[in-house]
Amino acid sequence: MINVEHLSKTFGKHEVLQNITTTVEPGEVVAIIGPSGSGKSTFLRCLNLLEVPTSGRITIDGADITDKKTDITKVRQGIGMVFQHFHLFPHMTVMDNLTFAPVKVKGMSLEEARSKSEILLERVGLRAKADAYPSKLSGGQKQRVAIARSLAMDPDIMLFDEPTSALDPEMVKEVLAVIHDLASTGMTMLIVTHEMKFAREAADTIYFLDSGQLIEKAEPGRFFTKPQSERAVRFLEKVL
Amino acid sequence: MTKLIKSTFIVVAIALLILSGSSVLAEGSSKGKIVMGTSPDYAPYESVDAKGSGEIVGLDIDIAKAVASKLGYELEISGMDFNGLIAALQTGRVDFVMSAMSVTEERQQSVDFSNVYYAARNTIVSKAANNYQTLEELEGKRIGVQLGSTQEMAVSGMKNVEVKTLNKIPDLIQEIKSGRIDAAIVEDAVALGNTTANPDLKFTLLPSEDEDQGYAIAFPKGSPLVVPFNEALKEIEASGEKDAIVSKWFDSMLATTGPTSGINLDFGILQGYMGYILQGIYVTLLFTLVSALFGFVWGAILSLFKISHVRPLQWFATAYTSVFRGTPLLLQLFLIYFATPQLLDYTISPLLAAGLAFGLNSAAYLSETIRAGIMAVDRGQREAAMALGIPYRTMMISIIFPQAVKNILPALVNECVALLKESSLVSVIGVQDLMRRATVVQANTYRAFEALLVVGAIYYVLVLILTSLARVLERRLRRSD
Repeated sequence: MINVEHLSKTFGKHEVLQNITTTVEPGEVVAIIGPSGSGKSTFLRCLNLLEVPTSGRITIDGADITDKKTDITKVRQGIGMVFQHFHLFPHMTVMDNLTFAPVKVKGMSLEEARSKSEILLERVGLRAKADAYPSKLSGGQKQRVAIARSLAMDPDIMLFDEPTSALDPEMVKEVLAVIHDLASTGMTMLIVTHEMKFAREAADTIYFLDSGQLIEKAEPGRFFTKPQSERAVRFLEKVL
Repeated sequence: MTKLIKSTFIVVAIALLILSGSSVLAEGSSKGKIVMGTSPDYAPYESVDAKGSGEIVGLDIDIAKAVASKLGYELEISGMDFNGLIAALQTGRVDFVMSAMSVTEERQQSVDFSNVYYAARNTIVSKAANNYQTLEELEGKRIGVQLGSTQEMAVSGMKNVEVKTLNKIPDLIQEIKSGRIDAAIVEDAVALGNTTANPDLKFTLLPSEDEDQGYAIAFPKGSPLVVPFNEALKEIEASGEKDAIVSKWFDSMLATTGPTSGINLDFGILQGYMGYILQGIYVTLLFTLVSALFGFVWGAILSLFKISHVRPLQWFATAYTSVFRGTPLLLQLFLIYFATPQLLDYTISPLLAAGLAFGLNSAAYLSETIRAGIMAVDRGQREAAMALGIPYRTMMISIIFPQAVKNILPALVNECVALLKESSLVSVIGVQDLMRRATVVQANTYRAFEALLVVGAIYYVLVLILTSLARVLERRLRRSD
């Protein structure tokens, strides 16, 4: 499904990602954790080419997205992404945020997009907010809308870039519940997060990144009880 | 939003068609047509029949008609500012110029003149209280003359006087009334009209001078028309036709310019002219709309060039902005209006030329404003759109642009207001906008202020309407806040 080979990314002289190789299987839920500045977000953003890798190869369902000839716009349509700061379109209602891409990009009829969006909003518990503008929503609500917006494109893969880091503590739960729920549907997901409890419960695999390297890759049970590396041990001491 | 942009394009296209329509239609007329340029603000020689048909009429026009019919041409009259006449000749926009234009050495270097067809006599105009009779009396005084006129040359030999040259006769009259000059040397017809309309002024005829000094028809250098025109002039002189025309216009001027009351402002004189002035609103608004829309669309495209990663596009947009911001708008207007027919062999109508010049100029400024507006949109918006697989074009039009426009709306409104007011510049190439109409009425009534004040009030009201419309739009856009 997702194949990453020798992925490196440098910003100027700074090596943000160093030679990362991994494979994500269909339906796998990966939680990416690590100290801040370890390259977690950059790794995630390379997967839909919001960051262009300096070297290495990434294939998504067989399509080499690091190849310039690949139509990245097409590939992105199958990869949903949820950002730390939501990035809802402020000049559109919640409903329009959801229907815009399916209608404009996929050529879905407006009626179909609307009825689908209503189901999605129902699923994230925000059906009543369909006609509200994003500015009228709380942070947690915004993030749930953002998730629904990504799902409206029927993606095969979902990327979450610190989805709860910008939220007030009391709103974290409602968002995590939605993501957890989604994980149980068999969606392939990669989640950059600081919520260790959530990572442990929801993920199939934990990626531990530090200084741009993929240090450990393990089942949550094993990682949180018996971390293999010195760096992971120290990290867990700090956060648990 | 895509729809909005599409309909914007359609509106611009239609408006451009309307603007160019007149010249397109004119293109197909008979080959025996001859075009005369004139500046219709100098009754009784040439003025706009603002109370009636709105056409250009006058002594010069009647003489031109008589000559043209003698030579078998169909006469077309093109009104423009006096300062643009010579350029119009040189660029072939008109075949000849009759505009009470006197022969000067300077002009002879750029155009050919016919024989003098009318010699006017100079007069001294001054306040009735002073009523200066001779040039000797003016010693030590301040005298006004029109720029580039024969009167300017007449006073150049005088000693001990302070000479002030002004562009327009109404300005001279106003200067006398406000006491900034003591007297003006103007020609007889002008003096007659102005002193009748302003009873506090008097004029005195000066002894006639060299008969060669007078008004003549101007042609492009080397024009084959000079000889036949001179012959035709001779003929209508001999037949008495010319004298009939002259006395007809001087008599009619005396009949139409009755004395007005002595007070400084008398809006009663505008009676009959209001319809003519108000029609200028349509022209001014159409012009503003077209140049604003064109400027916005083109400015938006330029701003995209500037933020694109394609180097040549960036260079082009930057150079474009630099040139159009770095040179005067009036100069651009003249270049487009006068150079297009020569370079592209297309007779561009004044309104289209003006719309183009103002649009191109405005785009240079707006491209910077829009660029700033786009940069001010949160980066995350772009990333969110990219992550959804939305193509660049759709993203710019539907996601980034609406937010950018909201950011810069006040600046856009300022630009529209500026365009609306600056549109008064287009009167120099003869576009019949509000300002041009005010000048025409000013000339017809021999009164300086009334028409200007009315037009000023109209501009102000238009700006008020525009800004309140903008407020409604802004409120609509703020709906989402």
